[in-house]
Amino acid sequence: MAQPLATHHHQPERLDETLEFLKRTRSELRTLRKVRAWVDRIQVFDVNGDYFEVLGVGYTHDDVREILDAVNTAYRPATIQQPCSAPFKEFKTGRRHPWAEDRVM
Amino acid sequence: MATANDHASMNKAHDRDPHNCNSYGTLVDDGYKKVSLPVLDVDDFNERIIRAYEEGTAEKSLPADLSVSRSIVPAGTATLRDFSYVAPEIPAYITEECTGCMDCVTLCPDTAILGKVVGENDWQARMDRLADDDRELFQKSWSEPRKYYGGPKKKTGEGGKFSIIIDPSKCKGCAECVTVCDDDALKMVNKTDGLMDDIQRTHRLFKEFGPSDERYINDNLLIDMMLKEETHVYVGGAGSCAGCGEGTALRMMCSATGAKYGNDWGIIAATGCNTVYTSTYPYNPYLVPWSNSLFENAPAYAMGLRMRWDQKGWADKPIWCIGGDGAMFDIGFQSLSRMLAAGANIKVMILDTQVYSNTGGQASTSTFMGQNAKMSLHGKSISGKTERRKEIAQIAMMHPRTYVAQTTCAHVNHMYRCLLDAMEFDGPAVVCCYTTCQPEHGVADNMATDQARLAVDTRAFPMLVYDPRKGATIKERLSLQGNPAVNDDWWVNPKTGDAVDFIDFCRSEGRFGKHFDKDGNPSETLVSARQERLENWRQLQELAGVLGKKSAPRKASASPPPAPQRAASGNGNGRQVGLPSGYQAGAKIRYEGGEGWVDGVLTSVTPVVMRLADESEIRISADVMKEAIALGLVALQ
Repeated sequence: MAQPLATHHHQPERLDETLEFLKRTRSELRTLRKVRAWVDRIQVFDVNGDYFEVLGVGYTHDDVREILDAVNTAYRPATIQQPCSAPFKEFKTGRRHPWAEDRVM
Repeated sequence: MATANDHASMNKAHDRDPHNCNSYGTLVDDGYKKVSLPVLDVDDFNERIIRAYEEGTAEKSLPADLSVSRSIVPAGTATLRDFSYVAPEIPAYITEECTGCMDCVTLCPDTAILGKVVGENDWQARMDRLADDDRELFQKSWSEPRKYYGGPKKKTGEGGKFSIIIDPSKCKGCAECVTVCDDDALKMVNKTDGLMDDIQRTHRLFKEFGPSDERYINDNLLIDMMLKEETHVYVGGAGSCAGCGEGTALRMMCSATGAKYGNDWGIIAATGCNTVYTSTYPYNPYLVPWSNSLFENAPAYAMGLRMRWDQKGWADKPIWCIGGDGAMFDIGFQSLSRMLAAGANIKVMILDTQVYSNTGGQASTSTFMGQNAKMSLHGKSISGKTERRKEIAQIAMMHPRTYVAQTTCAHVNHMYRCLLDAMEFDGPAVVCCYTTCQPEHGVADNMATDQARLAVDTRAFPMLVYDPRKGATIKERLSLQGNPAVNDDWWVNPKTGDAVDFIDFCRSEGRFGKHFDKDGNPSETLVSARQERLENWRQLQELAGVLGKKSAPRKASASPPPAPQRAASGNGNGRQVGLPSGYQAGAKIRYEGGEGWVDGVLTSVTPVVMRLADESEIRISADVMKEAIALGLVALQ
């Protein structure tokens, strides 16, 4: 696999910095495609297969939900931290706000 | 006032289109589609009216004329439209990764990515005729995938060179092609002046290169359909949203019909998104006769047309009646029912977006329970739509002798077979197709195929085929083949062991976003919606005679699945393909290509390659293979 375009080392008490790092995906990655959550890192991929990587946090960590939410990941919060036999868990991104979602008509 | 004679032809290179990308013909050049109508001068329309719209002077400079007053637009004028300024990105082709699966060409909503295959000897001769700089540029767009080159080379001594090019004047940058490519053979790149010049030159060379060599087109492989010019009956230039699911559905319907009938068929379209983006004056992407009246009367209009065509001795010319949710589920429902009850030989295509897309996303009867839509807003007291979804396919099935299919573009073989079978059926036919509406569903531009597949996997939109010719009972006529885990309530993801249900579908789309609390727990309404989808699925199982039948118990894997590895050679994609158990390299298989079963061997799973007893080779993507297995077209010996 190619090297990540950018890497951030997550610190448990500095979640805000990680979320700030992920904001860069909006301008430095193309349309986001999927997220891979490993035990020790999280990778955010765009349609080209380029990705950002967050080290020091995985699907077993408490911060994983906010990190996944930050990039519109579709996942089950109730089971995200459960162990699994595969090396990583993969989820799609791509959710958007619908057009005029608060309009009545 | 300028006249057509003052400028170079719109179908030739000119100042605004120096490489003549916006021109008639999709894979090869063509002229204007002439008709003998006293009220329509096709040359004048293309040269004067289209030019004025392209130059931005139409509103002020064009006088009202007969074509406007009579709402007549010549065939294919959308091909002269230039969208090259719309998107900041465009796909780039990576030849060494391409396996020739044709997913990108098939699933593009805009006829903007095109494929061609030419025998290598002929290819070399044509290349030798090019200027040096043109040849150097154009050679970069050709690949030698095993499907077209390696396999035929072994068999006949001459391989087929395969090309994918982008029509820069039609691409809206949705990235659907990149998303559906399993082989990383496409990437989005930023547009620059230099890149666009190269792409435009390449597109011009592609069109001048001549048609595909039909020796390399396997007619048993429906996905190869779009290698032929006659299947491009829906040209680029429609005004649909980037990534629109409807665009792909219309293209596939037109391809299937064009493959069999050429341009000898017609369309009646009900008002909705599909009519707006295919008839925003003066742009028409269809190469066949098309007419629109109102929202609610398309089936009735089609009945009148059918009677008139039958009178003229044109009973063998198909008529497709197209409509969306409003036209077919709601305001036009009685018209549809009347047409079906009449037994008219009309084929209906329903573009099911689960909202009234064109008017801003109001709820329709096809809207899912719980969906946040206009007129069924998610608020404090009521959480989105409270009613159950109307199942138009099941209602259509209850009409006398009607062929009914429910399908998606993500299931290419299934959809093509439904379309072809619908046309063969002597009587009314309804093909309901799940189509994303990106703005209203709350999904990204590139998500049409992914969401369509997920809708089927989660029972949100089950696929079905109801063919009255199959027997006397509903159980004999109704097939749920193509859905995963047909005998079970939900499909279980083999990697995680989790059942994938309707709530998982809802998590992936913004239209259900308000149903989840800050901890991601679904609302009661959504839990009810899940139950509603399950009840619908069980009803289909009962009708198909599979309710209560249990699947074979799944063996627990003794060890974790292997990490994805790059194939040692060939155009491998390095991903686990997830074929059913038993389908490994070396497995003996058999293939039903429409002329009976043919034995063969699965020689590779990454990519999927089947070598048949007649020495032919079929090379397809993993997803197409899984679909073919689910449809019963491929089986183990």
